[in-house]
Amino acid sequence: MAAPTQGEDSDDAMDEFMEKFKTQKYKNAFSESNWEEEFEKVPMFMKTAPESIDPEKHPDLACIQSIIHDDDRTPEEKARGLKDEGNDYFKEKKYKKAVVSYTEGLKKNCTDIELNAILYTNRAAAHFHLGNMRSALNDATAAKKLKPDHIKAIIRGAQCSMELRNYAGALQWCDEGLRLLPTEKKLQELRATADKQKREAERDARKAKVKAKKQQNEKETLLAAIKERGIKLLKTEPSQRRGSDSEDDDGDRGASRALADLELDGISSQEATGACVYMDEQGVLHWPVLFLYPEHSQTDFISAFCENSSFMDHLAVMFGEELPPWDSERKYQPQNLQLFFEDPEKGNLYQVDLEKSLLNVLQHQRCSVKAGTPSFIVLVSGSPFSKQFLSGKKVQRLK
Amino acid sequence: MLSDSEAKELLSFLTLETRPDVKGQATEYILGLTGNRDGCRYLRSKPDFLKALVTLTRDPSIAIVKDCYHAVINLSADETLHQPLIKETDLLAILFKNLLDPEYVFADRICTILSNLSRHERTCRDVFHALQEQKIGLDKVVEIFCTEGFNKTASLHYLGPLLSNLTQLPEARHFILDKDRCVIQRLLPYTQYEESTTRRGGVVGTLRNCCFDYAHHEWLLSDAVDILPYLLLPLAGPEELSEEENEGLPVDLQYLPEDKKREDDPDIRKMLLETLMLLTATKVGRQIMNKKNVYPIMREFHKWEKDPHVISTCEKLVQVLIGDEPEAGMENLMEVEIPNDVEEKLKELDAKEQEQMEKDKQECEKKQNESPEALER
Repeated sequence: MAAPTQGEDSDDAMDEFMEKFKTQKYKNAFSESNWEEEFEKVPMFMKTAPESIDPEKHPDLACIQSIIHDDDRTPEEKARGLKDEGNDYFKEKKYKKAVVSYTEGLKKNCTDIELNAILYTNRAAAHFHLGNMRSALNDATAAKKLKPDHIKAIIRGAQCSMELRNYAGALQWCDEGLRLLPTEKKLQELRATADKQKREAERDARKAKVKAKKQQNEKETLLAAIKERGIKLLKTEPSQRRGSDSEDDDGDRGASRALADLELDGISSQEATGACVYMDEQGVLHWPVLFLYPEHSQTDFISAFCENSSFMDHLAVMFGEELPPWDSERKYQPQNLQLFFEDPEKGNLYQVDLEKSLLNVLQHQRCSVKAGTPSFIVLVSGSPFSKQFLSGKKVQRLK
Repeated sequence: MLSDSEAKELLSFLTLETRPDVKGQATEYILGLTGNRDGCRYLRSKPDFLKALVTLTRDPSIAIVKDCYHAVINLSADETLHQPLIKETDLLAILFKNLLDPEYVFADRICTILSNLSRHERTCRDVFHALQEQKIGLDKVVEIFCTEGFNKTASLHYLGPLLSNLTQLPEARHFILDKDRCVIQRLLPYTQYEESTTRRGGVVGTLRNCCFDYAHHEWLLSDAVDILPYLLLPLAGPEELSEEENEGLPVDLQYLPEDKKREDDPDIRKMLLETLMLLTATKVGRQIMNKKNVYPIMREFHKWEKDPHVISTCEKLVQVLIGDEPEAGMENLMEVEIPNDVEEKLKELDAKEQEQMEKDKQECEKKQNESPEALER
């Protein structure tokens, strides 16, 4: 823009100056088409600051920033400036940036204790909103160490402890704060909440303990009932458990191993739901039982076979109305079936009397339960497969 | 007692400047005097002796200070000595100053003295006012009481009875029941403080006294304070309750473990029940207590309790809990006007009941004394 000539305040010069505007284009003027864009670039008219300040695109902003962070100032001033910067970011919910600013402020190591306490407290707040509870708690603690009467730090400390479920810790923070400001409502509320949640957590722990005890008792009763019946539970492979060779362990190790044996996880059948042997209100045991059909590589899983039921009871239902789809030759009819259990130690097969109850069979000397599930092999009497399957094996038939 | 000249001589030995051995013998003698009622009464008429004793608590010799405190404890146990002690000496100022010192090794004795002095209303009021005047205030006492390990050498359990005594004054209750502060809430956990019957009893006594102010009942029973579980826990036992009953109880009473013990001391049990009774005075209080399903706790407690006095209080409470609501106009049991003749009759019945309970108790004790002999046979 043409400067007014020296000493000039006559109207003529002014007129001449004004005339120039009509003809000459204003240098460095905003263009008519994108003047709004241009406006945005002028620091004073910016509506929002850009995320990062590129000195090439925004030379003016970069310039202003460097003034703010001018190294000629004292540490206190720098720290204060950084605190304000952090606060601004905080207001915009830019918590990560706020943390950076506050950290820079603390790095200045200025001697103003109050300022440092504020920086720690504010950083704690930023961390809190970012979900970094431990960092927030550390900062609150640091703030309180610098300035023990800094109530905002104490409130924050209590809040962080609550989030970390350290209710006893939260109560301590609150009580400390209330010692300074006995009528502080926020602290009183926090304290009441912390106390309530602490007591609820204690209740939950008691409840879990009672439940675990109950389950333990039930399991022990179950084991005792099984043992009383003289049913043998097979221990799992030695590679999985260190242990003695005795099958009738009475000690804790035996019990927990036996308990583990009762645990079932996913047996091959599609109906398996991790079923486990259980005892009903009348003291009767119900077992999950597996029927194996080696001829067709099929299985059937009965989730709860009452120990007093007979095999025929179940077979009559399973093979009664409809024969299974894999029985292509339609020969698996109840009256044709033969059941065997295997003695895992010797590999012998023992035929099962179908009229007998499950309990009866399980009590057989050579019968044992593996993985908590009795399993039985089902063959069709006299069939070629059956002959082939049984050949070469020692079979104890029914008399 | 002592002649005038003997007294004068003895008094001359009771100064800080006296030779330690002479001083020691003098304080020992005074301590001996305080050991019986006549000695105490004698000293009542001798304020100079009282002043000297209090002064000697500043003595550099621990043995002397110990004797002095011991003597003052004995004196404070006698009500007639209260006003002389307070008015003729600066005892209260010294006591409070040292109480606040976390290193003071005689703090427990201070608490005992204060507890004694606050027993009866008149001096209790003096103690309370001295607290305010010394700019200490009841909140500092509560704070010290509730700070674990405040004084490494003193347990400060006797602050419990002190608080209990102070709350016979409405001004003290007013402070403890301040809604804008967190005072009574800090005392509640101590109803279960196993290490000290004194502390526990003091706290329960405080709570009982506070419950006389029925205007505060709703607040006390609300979540802001939640006094109910802390009164019931000492009365609750290890008996297993059904899941349904458990879920209906206040959180702190649910799923109590097998080793849960009830309050040992029958007097404290009685106080707890009396406090619960007080809380049933208003309709709101009764409603809240019924909603919180305290009945199963009381039921099991009643089965367990042996002391006839306590059983009687328990039965009265249960009756209110399960009984019908009183007629309109009588809902606040503390404000009901009882006609004179009815009142007379009730007093008579009460007296008869007391008699009967005493008889029951004696029979109970007799039986206990008899059985060892029977076993020996």
